Amino acid sequence: MKDVKAAINKDRREFVKKVLRGSIAGSLFLVLPMGGEGSIQIPEQIPGIRGKEYDMSKQRFAFIVDITRCIGCGSCCVADKREYDVPDGHYRTWVERYIKDFDDNVYVDCPNGGLDGYQKPRTDIPGKIRDTFFVPKLCNMCERPSCVQVCPVGATFKTPDGFVLIDKDYCVGCAYCIQACPYSARFLNPKTKTADKCTWCYHRVRKGLLPVCVHVCPAKARKFGDLNDPESEVSKILASPEVITVLKPDMGNHPALYYKGLRREVV
Amino acid sequence: MTEAVHTGMAANILNYVFPNDLHVHWSLMIVLYPYITGIIAGAFIVSSLYHVFKVQDLKPVSRYSLLFALAFLACATWPLLNHLGHPERNWEMLITPNPTSAMAGFGYIYSLYAILLIFEVLFIYRPTMVALKAQSTGKLKTLYNILTFGSEDLSPRSIALDKKIIAFLAAVGIPMACILHGYVGFIFGAVKARPLWSSPLMPVIFLLSASVSGIAGVIFSYVLIQKYKGRPVDSKCVITLSKFLWGAFIICFTFEMLEIFQHSYLKTHHWDMIHGLLWGPLKTSFWRMQVGICSLIPLFLLGILIIFKVREKAFVFFATIASGLLLLQVLLMRWNVVIGGQLMSRSSRGFTTFHPAFFEKEGILPAILIMAAPLVILWLLGKIMPMWEDNQPSTEPTTRT
Amino acid sequence: MQSYNTHVKRIVLLLAIMALVGYGAKKVLTPSTFGEYGHYRGAAIEKEANRPLKHMTNYSCKSCHAFEWEIHEYGKHKTISCEFCHGPYANHVKDGKYVGRLPVKKGLEIKTLCIRCHNKEIKARPKDVIKTIKMPDHLKSQHVREDHICNQCHHVHAPLRYINRAKKVLGLLTGKEAGNEGR
Ligand code: HEC
Ligand code: HEC
Ligand code: HEC
Ligand code: HEC
Repeated sequence: MKDVKAAINKDRREFVKKVLRGSIAGSLFLVLPMGGEGSIQIPEQIPGIRGKEYDMSKQRFAFIVDITRCIGCGSCCVADKREYDVPDGHYRTWVERYIKDFDDNVYVDCPNGGLDGYQKPRTDIPGKIRDTFFVPKLCNMCERPSCVQVCPVGATFKTPDGFVLIDKDYCVGCAYCIQACPYSARFLNPKTKTADKCTWCYHRVRKGLLPVCVHVCPAKARKFGDLNDPESEVSKILASPEVITVLKPDMGNHPALYYKGLRREVV
Repeated sequence: MTEAVHTGMAANILNYVFPNDLHVHWSLMIVLYPYITGIIAGAFIVSSLYHVFKVQDLKPVSRYSLLFALAFLACATWPLLNHLGHPERNWEMLITPNPTSAMAGFGYIYSLYAILLIFEVLFIYRPTMVALKAQSTGKLKTLYNILTFGSEDLSPRSIALDKKIIAFLAAVGIPMACILHGYVGFIFGAVKARPLWSSPLMPVIFLLSASVSGIAGVIFSYVLIQKYKGRPVDSKCVITLSKFLWGAFIICFTFEMLEIFQHSYLKTHHWDMIHGLLWGPLKTSFWRMQVGICSLIPLFLLGILIIFKVREKAFVFFATIASGLLLLQVLLMRWNVVIGGQLMSRSSRGFTTFHPAFFEKEGILPAILIMAAPLVILWLLGKIMPMWEDNQPSTEPTTRT
Repeated sequence: MQSYNTHVKRIVLLLAIMALVGYGAKKVLTPSTFGEYGHYRGAAIEKEANRPLKHMTNYSCKSCHAFEWEIHEYGKHKTISCEFCHGPYANHVKDGKYVGRLPVKKGLEIKTLCIRCHNKEIKARPKDVIKTIKMPDHLKSQHVREDHICNQCHHVHAPLRYINRAKKVLGLLTGKEAGNEGR
């Protein structure tokens, strides 16, 4: 943090310019102004991003969803909707509820994408319930993304640091990527009339903050971190003997979104 | 899928649709787009049968089918533009086409095809238009002057050169038409996330149904126009066209059914969904309408007409009905593929619904307008380019068409 | 002067011009940062990276709400984001200045809020992650009327604050918890 402060003091204008160009990671929000004089610093949530040049080619991030911890409160969905003003009826992230009975029937629901949480148990299930669990879904940030493959104009792309993003000033809104995504993570934003989807909060990550859904998760069911950092939680989980799977591996998309404790019923 | 399965075998029951799958993004416009390109490709093939393969019976419709293709070609991009969220950005498809995208090439393939078709028409019509230029005055004369590129040379040498170029264009046009439409099939076939689409048969089926819709469109409109104008229908031409139509449709229908049979026999997890779709939301539009009414009836009707000796008048009458049904069949097939594919949620657990509204941006009214536009364009084209043998300028003045 | 192939020459010329114009247009219209990293506009990455933040972290509230922050940070609810219960920072503070009111839940809304996470009826709530309660049994076991709202006994920001304090007074708190000053 020191060098950033020094940079500010040395040449404020130069610093701001650099921030705007994005060559100094963690832009203005590293330091929050405090009305008039003084400022506070928000501690970083992902160590090792701030205070140095962000080299896109050297980053590796992973997202892990721990099914065994999710309580289905929908905090993530609420925060996500607020962060991006997602129009009603479309979801960058959602939480599904799976119920399995003793006859192996699987009942899945996801009222309003889980935005309102799960206040009541399901009452329309005839058999005896064996198991209930929640599965949060979001963009899989595939190694081999179908959406990028099919975009006719290059408006959706994979960045050198592994994020699949959308250039909403370039997207023509043909919806081909929406058809191609095996995970239904995409939708056509009725406000911008372009494709839209979860970005793993790229703007927060670049500032050293966790994606907002990870940050608000009270149960630590969502984990995000730097794979280059052997001390990060995601590195440790991926290095552990835990069973880690991805969704629809037969699609061959090689997601960077991993699931811990995923059941076979989940698609 | 309401009947619950309580046997313990992979029972995935009770509608669950991914929240983002509730909405059908490719609606009526994307149903029309392959329909229109199919008609273009099919009608072009009809004209090539005459110009390249020298099927002399088709002479009466050789020019008409080209103009028919051209009229639809003029409108092929309209449904796409209407569908795009940002139609004003369409030029990006030409400026920065993504080489890995199955859609990006469309701009180029379509443009090349348009150039080819336009020049083929211009070369074929050059002698005619030179004659018309001499007969006309004012703006019309300027127009003919532009369309003939200011050349009035009708010497045998010049005509021979034109003939060579026409043969070349028509020959190149066949693979181009196949690429244009096979490609449209590939746009769907390349989507691995949609089990109903992702099939290597998709381009083949699209191509064959394109031929069907093109030939059927030419027969249907040819007979209707001639009847309306009170001119005789060339029944030999209709008979030959019907034979081609029957042949194309037999193969087309076989592949369509093969595709489903294959799924039903393999019984992978996709079959549960496809079965649920075809016997659920698509039961009427697929089994009853596409297969029952619009495939089996024309299949047998054409078969009877062609195998048995039928009076020419009756042949033309029933062949026209069969063509009309086949035109509908192809439209229904586009609907069932495009819409049906999206009704299956990628959750593999349920189906969404789709009901087009009348006045929407991509609703029924725009669809009707877009389908009517080529007919208007065809009528306008007919004003400057006589499409029938009996009103070529050598025999009578243009004003009649 | 016209020869037998004048029109063909003109057509070839026209096509050549069209191809040239097309090529020129492609060169001119292609965005400048296109292809910087791949088949897309490189500038789009920075655009996304500079998207304004709406949510901050709990720490961002500390400077103005030190009292609540302190209670929250050392209570059982420290893993919950202030902004989940109250709304995003950007709706509340801009450039260090207060710009808008964040909603504060009252009465029954609080109960709905708590039940969202703590309802035992929803089976999928692992015990090691969250303790759940059954309503109205929870209130019955405390021998109070069923219309009690959760925050009458639980501090919303540190739910065991009062309870542990009471237990301490009554000498019920043992060992580790006792050291927590009843937070
Ligand atoms: C710049 C200082 C500042 C910061 C930072 C700040 N607040 Fe506030 N907040 C205020 C002020 C000033 C009020 C009092 C407004 C009033 O009383 O109408 C207030 C009031 C509130 C209230 C009560 C509103 C009411 O009507 O009772 C809540 C809840 C609140 N803030 C939450 C937060 C949260 C959560 C954060 C962190 C994300 C936060 N605040 C950060 C200045 C701040
Ligand atoms: C579990 C949800 C929850 C969380 C997390 C939470 N609050 Fe609150 N907060 C409430 C509720 C509910 C009230 C209303 C309190 C009441 O009426 O008892 C409240 C009240 C407030 C008030 C207004 C107090 C008053 O008396 O008007 C402020 C300020 C506040 N919270 C700030 C914060 C800050 C800062 C944080 C994070 C450090 C935070 N809250 C975290 C639920 C929450
Ligand atoms: C967003 C979900 C969420 C909401 C809303 C929420 N809680 Fe909690 N609460 C938790 C979690 C998670 C824990 C466990 C934290 C831990 O053990 O680290 C917890 C812990 C508690 C505990 C302590 C349990 C124990 O003995 O460890 C109590 C009591 C409690 N909450 C009461 C409430 C009340 C009352 C409300 C309503 C104001 C409320 N909670 C709202 C998530 C929530
Ligand atoms: C009359 C006071 C009172 C009210 C009202 C009340 N609680 Fe409690 N609650 C308690 C006490 C006391 C405990 C601690 C019990 C213990 O430690 O044995 C407790 C414990 C809890 C726990 C932890 C349970 C566990 O297994 O450790 C949760 C969760 C909880 N309450 C949630 C709520 C919620 C949600 C509401 C509102 C619907 C609520 N409480 C209303 C008094 C109350």
